[in-house]
Amino acid sequence: MPRTARSFKPRYPAWLMSPSFLYYAMFFLGPMAILVVFSLSTQTGFGTIRFGFDTSQYRLVANALYLKIFQRTLLMAFLGSVLTIAVGYPVAYWMARHLSTYKMLALLLVVVPFWTSFLIRTYALKIILDPQGYLARDFGINIQYTKYAVGLGLVYNYLPLFILPVFASLERMDWTLIEAATDLGARPLTAFRQITLRLTLPGVVTGALLVFIPMTGEYIIPNILGGGKYEFVGNLIGDQFTEAQNQPFGSALAISLMVALSVFVIVYILFATKEERFGA
Amino acid sequence: MTDQHDPRDELGILAPRKMKAKFDYLHREVQRAAGVRITRRQALGLGGLAVLAAACGPVTTAPKQNASPSASAADPLAGLPLENHLEIYNWSQYDDPSTYTLFKKLPDEAAAGLRIHETYYSSNDELLAKLGAGGTTYDIIVPSQNAVAELIEEQKLMKLDKAHLPNLINLDPSFLKPAYDPNGDYHVIKDFGITMFFYNNKIVTDQPSSMLEFYNLLTKYVGKGRTNLLDGAEEVVPLALMAIGIDPNTTSQGDFDKVKAFLLGLRKGVTTISSYGYINDAIAGKIILSQGWNGDVRRIIQGRAKQGDITGVIPTAASEIWADNWCILANAPHPVAAHAWINWILTPSTAVTEMLYHNYKIPMPAALDQVPASLKDDPMFNVPKTYTDNYHYILNVSPQVVQARTGIYTAFKAA
Repeated sequence: MPRTARSFKPRYPAWLMSPSFLYYAMFFLGPMAILVVFSLSTQTGFGTIRFGFDTSQYRLVANALYLKIFQRTLLMAFLGSVLTIAVGYPVAYWMARHLSTYKMLALLLVVVPFWTSFLIRTYALKIILDPQGYLARDFGINIQYTKYAVGLGLVYNYLPLFILPVFASLERMDWTLIEAATDLGARPLTAFRQITLRLTLPGVVTGALLVFIPMTGEYIIPNILGGGKYEFVGNLIGDQFTEAQNQPFGSALAISLMVALSVFVIVYILFATKEERFGA
Repeated sequence: MTDQHDPRDELGILAPRKMKAKFDYLHREVQRAAGVRITRRQALGLGGLAVLAAACGPVTTAPKQNASPSASAADPLAGLPLENHLEIYNWSQYDDPSTYTLFKKLPDEAAAGLRIHETYYSSNDELLAKLGAGGTTYDIIVPSQNAVAELIEEQKLMKLDKAHLPNLINLDPSFLKPAYDPNGDYHVIKDFGITMFFYNNKIVTDQPSSMLEFYNLLTKYVGKGRTNLLDGAEEVVPLALMAIGIDPNTTSQGDFDKVKAFLLGLRKGVTTISSYGYINDAIAGKIILSQGWNGDVRRIIQGRAKQGDITGVIPTAASEIWADNWCILANAPHPVAAHAWINWILTPSTAVTEMLYHNYKIPMPAALDQVPASLKDDPMFNVPKTYTDNYHYILNVSPQVVQARTGIYTAFKAA
């Protein structure tokens, strides 16, 4: 009797997946389908629409004004991500490489702000940036209600989301490689560039996308820190639903933003699989 | 204010409690079709349904049994009994609690065992969305002027039976037929306010008196502190239109181009666009020049009384007047009680209580005579007619106009 080949595949029945599949179908695919249907319908009155296949909303998106807002949103999110990398990478590096006893405490301190509501953190930042506050009075940094305040808010609010994956990849890194490199005569900077940075790059890309994508969809930060006069695509979409009561156009804008973001998600998937292949 | 079950109105039908409002509606429809008073039991029985079926059927030439045609046209609710329930959908904390308790103690209402149930919304959008979704059993709603116009167009409001509103004579007649309900058939004004502006008189040394002068000062003073406009496409664009002498409800593309150029020209002078939070910020002394609604500006000036540095200006020339209104839905299950409620609100003593509670003016001379001088003599509460005569209601004229306004608003913000 031949010995049965041993399978390493998990022996769970496929139907166990059904709860999560149902969840995704109802709360992700379903709303997405509704959004697509809405974006292709025609507005017939206030808040009333006729379903059909009307692509005119998508042509409206290509208006110079809206393209400018898309461009600005993507640019601000890009700059915000770059700044997040600049601030977050050294912090993650320091935590992973130089802390031992207090490593978990430092990690906790990074995560703690996340326990406070996003809205409250943004309002807190508004108080710090107040023209009558210390920052403006004693340091001359008076940026409230400007795009600089919006940028600061983006970096501040999303920093933990970047630090965590980068910290994880730095933690997993084999530091003996650095020792070997220095033993072989590499300068510290060269060793960092050729080993540390390369091995943690997938973590950096993951972290950067984790902050870039929500930044492009940001609504609260530009509204509160920009003084209600700094438009992100999120604000534009909000206005179409609440002010203009024009669901088709608002939906078309939302879909367009998703399409634009898909490009970045594809980049993410490519890097994520690469990380798995080589390990970090 | 609970949905109490009344044993005297026992139906003897096994049905969910939720159905009561629908049975009430059916009862009324049957009564209307029959033209005579009949009990619920009869109305909901086979005989009643036969009457309804006959009324819904092909046009019949047989004359209605009693009510003469002229009477039924002017007073469609004549002879209908007062229901024992009233369903109100309102802004929260907008009416004095005693207004409800005293209403239920009125002789007829007490005899009918009337109960009130109230739920709340926080914006006209929310109200419209809820009504748009259908299936509501509200009697009374409290829409602002632009929502009234929209609901009239969608035929969602009941034509008011003026015979059931004798107290309507107490209202200032100039508020009976506004632009948003030109025949005054569908609404009764609840209270109204205006859009004005205020400035810090220690910093702003000019003395602006009109909205146009306000706009022209923005660029001059923005370097000295925060300036603010009220937010929303339906505020920013029509207010600017009025400032440059154009009808706020214009549909002309030429007018839209003009107002867009005007707004973009003053964009550099605007620090924030916000309708919420500006009260607290202004009381904290953080705003030097801003638009505001009269009730809010009153609070700001009271809050800065110690410093005395805020001057409020009721603009000469054109500005916005807005109004919240009592309306009855076309499918209201309890129309007689709804009319009784509005008629009660129109009693001068009730109006006084209401004004002392919410601090917005009800255009009722007999009631205004009774409010304390501190309120009555404050032009920011009792806005003189000489000003409001020049003011306009901002309406959602059509989806196209609203879209055009939103486009300008977006361009203004994104500039």
